[in-house]
Amino acid sequence: MRIRAPKDFWSGVMFCGFAAVAISAAHGYSLGSAGKMGPGYFPLLLAVLLALLGAALIVRSVVFSGEPVPRFHIWPLTVIAAAVCLFGVLIEPLGLAVALAVLTVMSAWAGARLRWAETLALAAALIIFSAGVFVYALGLPLNIWPGL
Amino acid sequence: MDVISNLGVGFAVALTIQNSAYCFIGVLLGTVIGVLPGIGPVTTVAMLLPISFTLQPEPALIMLAGIYYGAQYGGSTTAILVNIPGEASSVVTTIDGHQMARQGRAGPALGIAALGSFFAGCAATLLIALAAPPLATIALQFGPAEYFSLMVCGLIAAVVLARGSLLKAIAMVILGLLLGLVGTDVNSGARRLNFGMTGLVDGIEFVAISMAIYGIADVVYNLEKGQAASVVAGAVGRIWPSLADLRQCTGSILRGTGLGAILGVLPGGGALLASFAAYTLEKKVAKPPRQFGNGDIRGVAAPESANNAGAQTSFIPMLTLGIPGNPTMAMMIGALMIHGIAPGPRVMTDRPGLFWGLIASMWLGNLMLVILNLPMVGVWVRLLRVPYRLLYPAIVAFCCIGAYTINNKPFDLFVMAFFAVFGYLALKLDCEPAPLILGFVLGPMMEENLRRALLISRGDPMVFLQEPISLAFLVAAAGLLLVIAAPAIRLRREEALKE
Repeated sequence: MRIRAPKDFWSGVMFCGFAAVAISAAHGYSLGSAGKMGPGYFPLLLAVLLALLGAALIVRSVVFSGEPVPRFHIWPLTVIAAAVCLFGVLIEPLGLAVALAVLTVMSAWAGARLRWAETLALAAALIIFSAGVFVYALGLPLNIWPGL
Repeated sequence: MDVISNLGVGFAVALTIQNSAYCFIGVLLGTVIGVLPGIGPVTTVAMLLPISFTLQPEPALIMLAGIYYGAQYGGSTTAILVNIPGEASSVVTTIDGHQMARQGRAGPALGIAALGSFFAGCAATLLIALAAPPLATIALQFGPAEYFSLMVCGLIAAVVLARGSLLKAIAMVILGLLLGLVGTDVNSGARRLNFGMTGLVDGIEFVAISMAIYGIADVVYNLEKGQAASVVAGAVGRIWPSLADLRQCTGSILRGTGLGAILGVLPGGGALLASFAAYTLEKKVAKPPRQFGNGDIRGVAAPESANNAGAQTSFIPMLTLGIPGNPTMAMMIGALMIHGIAPGPRVMTDRPGLFWGLIASMWLGNLMLVILNLPMVGVWVRLLRVPYRLLYPAIVAFCCIGAYTINNKPFDLFVMAFFAVFGYLALKLDCEPAPLILGFVLGPMMEENLRRALLISRGDPMVFLQEPISLAFLVAAAGLLLVIAAPAIRLRREEALKE
């Protein structure tokens, strides 16, 4: 058996993975019956459908040939995802200014080569703009500085 | 007449200083992001959802709507001058529009795009005002079985019109529905699918998932593609099209508007499909067909009218049925829910000010857009010099601030990071994210209606086939699936969508 359509194959694997997680989670909730559905009924129904579709994709991928999976660019994805998480960690203890500065520098770093002067200027502009618009003008409850 | 008194109510709301100001902010932002490649209306509306929380529902929706149709105007500017579609819906405009610019007729191309859009916007808004009340009245009589079948039909139609593999699109819809169920079950109060994480007890935050996919994942995807250096064409010249141009375009604008208005109402439709279809139609019917591809002004007029008409009429199912036809409409439904308004036919009767105010604001917004776009086109062109490396950290930053402020919950940022990774994977595997977002919004509603329908029928699934309206929706859905599965039509669909 050979995988002829890697894109379809990995899509199928991804959907089956989500379905497996959902089935194992929905397993614990009461199903009820069609006339009186419990909280587990509809999720399980959907998860089974999803698993079937995933399986169909996998089957199709060994029967018909298709496109290869394009190269993954792990670097920008990892750095930006990490930057988003870090923003979540920093925003409450250290406030908007620090969290935004870290986020901007990391995002810029995810792109091409880092231009420090430009990036710091951008970070400063974003902090001033966000503080002005979100905190002062719109009154969103955000701390700008640590521990205020 | 009812329509007139209703529109009177609408204009009374739309013309207040506050609401006109938000309408202006909306269309201005829409133009800006329409001009800029790499950031679209879905991303912008997603980024502004948290802000809309601080506003009244009327200005919030008026502003968000303005972004969507404003982007249709801005997108054509980039398409014509730089040969890069500022928006996906302006892809076909690049064909003839940029040729015109190369021949020194950039001005008339921009002019006819704006005038065609204005006409289409006004006509489509009138259509919304006329069609929405009867539709909402019909929808008010729908029971749970009808609603469930309507959602099935809507989701299937959205999938059929999506790009790429049908199997993947259906799987994305189902995954979206499933993700929409995470959190507390309204009926039993049971916490489900939250994997013991307290952060997921209230479900996955819509703002976080939509910004993850349309903001962050998109940024990562654009970063690796690398941005093509933009070459701004020379002088724009005289904007106003000549009388001969106008005469030549009248038919194209009318056809584009009509076709766009129809396609906009369909689920999965909206601006993108409308512009492609209008260009194809124009190539077939316009006489003489000689010039298409070489700077025919009708090749600009028709798709630009169509994408604006489609953008406007895609509000019809959202406003009257509570069913989103495209991701932007899903965001609008999200905005309604943030304000505690249940989307559906009751919005029109319960909140006439909101409903008619939004419609009236579309006229106002279209008028503002013509003024913004025609004399000020030079300003927008200069925006194209902003390099993407300055733009994308700002997008990431506003997404993060938005995801945090919606609930003041750092956990939502982890959710956003997770779905950004997922969104990137999905893009790489050619799984379109739009069906996922539609499913996500409809998940809880669909479960609720399924549950109620089967409760009434004591568990007999035949109820969906016995109610005539419900049966009609299901037959339509099955028909769509069959049609698309037929190989001949499948090929033509792929051709039409690729073009």
